[in-house]
Amino acid sequence: MTKHDETRRAFLVRAAAGAGAVAGAGLVPDAFAGNLERTKDAVSSAAAPTHPAMHANAEIQGAFFNHDDAATMSALTERLMPGAPDKPGALDASVLNYIDLALSGAYADQQEFYRRGLAQLDAYCGKTHGKPFRELGTAQQDEVLMALDEGKATEFDWPTAQGFFNTLRTHTMEGMFADPIYGGNKDFAGWKLVGFPGAQMFYSPKDMESAEAFSRSPIIGLQTGLVGIAKAPARKG
Amino acid sequence: MATEKTDVVIVGVGAAGGILAAELGKAGMKVIGLERGPRLTTADFAPHDELRYFQRMDLRPNIKRTPITWRPNAGVRATPIPIQNYGSQAGGGTVHYGTLSWRFHEDDFRVRSHTIERYGASAIPADSSVADWPLTYADLEPFYDRAEYELGVSGKAGNLQGRKIEGGNIFEAPRHREYPLPALHADQSGLLFNEGAHKLGYHPFSSPRAILSQPYQDRPSCTYCGYCQSFGCHVGAKSSILVTKLPEADATGNFKLLTGTMCYHVNTDNSGRATGVSYYGPDGSDNTIEAEIVILAPFIYDNVRLLMISKTEKFPNGLANSSGQLGKHLTAHMMAKVFAAFDDRFVNIYMGPSAQKHTLDDFNADNFDHSGMNFMRGAQISISPADLEAGPIGTAMSLEPPPGTPRWGAAYRDFMAKYFTRYGTLVAQTENLPYADQTIDLDPNIRDQWGMPAPRLTYNWKRPNELARVEFLMQKMEGIGRAMGASKVWRGGLGPGAPGAHHEGGTRMGSDPKTSVVNRYSQTWDIPNLFLMGSSTHPTMAGFNPTLTIQALAFMTADAIVNRYKKSPGALA
Repeated sequence: MTKHDETRRAFLVRAAAGAGAVAGAGLVPDAFAGNLERTKDAVSSAAAPTHPAMHANAEIQGAFFNHDDAATMSALTERLMPGAPDKPGALDASVLNYIDLALSGAYADQQEFYRRGLAQLDAYCGKTHGKPFRELGTAQQDEVLMALDEGKATEFDWPTAQGFFNTLRTHTMEGMFADPIYGGNKDFAGWKLVGFPGAQMFYSPKDMESAEAFSRSPIIGLQTGLVGIAKAPARKG
Repeated sequence: MATEKTDVVIVGVGAAGGILAAELGKAGMKVIGLERGPRLTTADFAPHDELRYFQRMDLRPNIKRTPITWRPNAGVRATPIPIQNYGSQAGGGTVHYGTLSWRFHEDDFRVRSHTIERYGASAIPADSSVADWPLTYADLEPFYDRAEYELGVSGKAGNLQGRKIEGGNIFEAPRHREYPLPALHADQSGLLFNEGAHKLGYHPFSSPRAILSQPYQDRPSCTYCGYCQSFGCHVGAKSSILVTKLPEADATGNFKLLTGTMCYHVNTDNSGRATGVSYYGPDGSDNTIEAEIVILAPFIYDNVRLLMISKTEKFPNGLANSSGQLGKHLTAHMMAKVFAAFDDRFVNIYMGPSAQKHTLDDFNADNFDHSGMNFMRGAQISISPADLEAGPIGTAMSLEPPPGTPRWGAAYRDFMAKYFTRYGTLVAQTENLPYADQTIDLDPNIRDQWGMPAPRLTYNWKRPNELARVEFLMQKMEGIGRAMGASKVWRGGLGPGAPGAHHEGGTRMGSDPKTSVVNRYSQTWDIPNLFLMGSSTHPTMAGFNPTLTIQALAFMTADAIVNRYKKSPGALA
C-alpha cells in the first residue's frame, strides 16, 4: 500500500466511522472492522466529526468531499444500498470513494450540485430533527430519504429534493456496479451481490441456454489480478 | 482558412454516409467526408466498461456540449434531453447500436393508402400527417439485399419469394434469397420467449441483426460477450460502418476523412445550386469545401438545423424548403415495457447480443385485424434487458421494481440480488404516427459548443391513437410474460411523453415537391445537387428499427448518382 493509498483509506474509514458510529455501529460491516481497528488512532474517536481540527487535517481529506460531507455521503449511500451479512452494501463496495473520485474528475461539473444539495439536506434535517443527517438514526435517515424521493422535503430549491435524490441514487448504483477501476464495487462487492460475472470475453451456446447460475468462470474486471466468484443469492425459489 | 475542391462532400460518415463514401469512391468520384468525432478502431473497444460506454455514453454525443432540447408542446420552454441515442464518431450510430436490421413490411411504405383501402379514411386520426412513401417495398428489395450481404446480417428468412417459413418472420415481405448468415444463437430468455409465444399461437423468431453468427468477409463471429448495445465490438463482429464500408472507401484511394470537424453551413449560390459547405476544424479553424455534390448524412437534427441555418435571400425559409415541410412530421418509437421475473430459473439476460433478442411480429404494422379497434398500426414485440443493455448499472437504472417494492433500501437490494439474473423485459417498439405539429426547429435560448442554436424537438407521443395502441400492446405483453412462466409480471411506467428511440422525419420524402422535401432518391426537390440522407426522410416510421432501411436507401441513392446523375446531373425524379 502506498502512502497515498493509506491516506485515502483513512479518509474512507473515517467517513464511515463518522456516519456509522453515530448512526449505529451495526452499519459498519465486518470487512471494514479490521481497517477501523487499525486506523482508530489516525481517525481519533468516531465522535465529534465537526471538530475544527478535522478540517485542517489533510490526512483525512477526500479528493473532493470535506470530512462532514464525506460522513453524510457515507450514511446516505449506505441507506440507499444497505449492507447485511452476505449482502454487500454501499460501505462494502466503497461507494463513497467512487463518488468522491468522480466529483474530482469526470463529474467535476456537479461539485456545486453536491455542495448545495448537502447543505440543503442538513438545513432540512436541522429543521425537522434538530441534527444534521449524519447524526440521525437509521430510521430517521430513511424518513428523510423518503421525503426527498417523494419531493416532500422542504428547504430545497436547487437542486430540488427529487433531483438531488435521483442523482444520489444514480451515483450510488454506479459506485456499486461500475468496474472497480473507478474506485467503487470494491472486491466486486456489487457484482457478487447480484451475481454478475463482469467483463467476460465470451459465453458459449451452453452458457446462453442454461437456466442455472453462471459458474464456469470467475468474475473478470478490467484490470488483471482482480478476480472473484459471482456468488448467486443463496436462497432458492 | 483553407478551401478545398472535391467532387462530393459528405457531412456525417455513419450508417448512410459511409455507404455513399465507399460506393461513390468506387465509381471514381473524389469524396471528402466530414466527421465531428474521432475515427476509432476495433482495438479501441477492448474495455468492457459499462460505466464508460453505457452510463456515461462515451460513443454518443455529449449532452452538455451538443444539447438537443425538448418540449411537449409549443406553449412551454424546452429543456435539454438527458440521452442522445445517435453516434458521435466515424461509423455514427452503427458503432454502438443494437444492430437490429429489418426490412420494412410492404404496407409500411403505403400506410395511408393501405389503411384507407382496408378500414376507410376515418380509421386515420384527423390530425395525423401519415403519408405513403414515394417508393414501394419491391423498389427497395434489391437494395435491402445488398445491405444485408455487403454489411453482414444474421437471420432466418420467413418469406422466401412468397413461401412462408416457420422459424423466420412469416410476416416479412417476400425476399428473393436467404440471409447471408444463419440466425444468432438464442439465449435462455429467447428460449422462454419462443415457448411462451408458441403457446399463444404467435410466431416468434431470432431477431435479424448485423452481427456475424459465423466468420464472414475476414471478420470473426460474435463471442456473445453481452457488451453490445452502447458498446463498440471488441472483435469486429458487429457489422458497423467502421469495419465494413470505411475500409472499402479507403481502398478506393478516392476518399478522405476529416475527423474532428463540424459542418456549420451549406453554401449555395444565386443560381440555386449548392456550392459546398463550411466547417470548423479540430483546431477551431474556419474552412470551406467546394463540391459538385453536397450530401448531408448526419443524424436527423443536423439535417434540419443545417438547412434552417443556411437560409439565404433566395431560400428565405431555409434551404430546400419551398414546400414549408422542413422540420415537420417528427416521429419516435415509444418503447412500452412489461417486466417478467422468474422464480424457477436463472435467465442471465446479460449474455449475448443485448438488444431486442427474440421477436414476434404478430402485432406490428397491419399484421393483425384492426377492425373495431381505436388505433391504427402496431409494434414489434421483443425480449430484451431493461434498457436494451444488460449490465447491472443499466439494470439499476431501468428495471423498475414491481409495485410494492421500493427503488432503494434493503428491499430494493434484495430485489436486485435475486432478480438481476432472473428477469426479462418485453418491449413493444410502437409505430407512432407522424403529425405536422411534431417538429424540429432552432432553440432560441440554448446554443451548442460552436455557438449554433440547439435543435429543438416539440413532441408528445401521448395522443389518443398512440395511448390506445400502447394499452393494447401492454395487455399482449402481460399475456406473453405469463405464458413464458414468469412468477411475476408488471408494467413499466409510460414516462413524460418525450420522444423515445429512433427519431425520424423532418425532411420527409414524397412524390410531390409541394408536400415533401426530397424525392425517392433523397435528393432535394429545390436543389438537385443537394442530398439528405438518413431517417429524416422517412414519411412514416414502421414498428421496426430504421437502420437497414436507411442503408438500403443509401445504396439506392448511390446507385442513382453513379448510374444516372454522374452522366447527366439534374433532377432524378
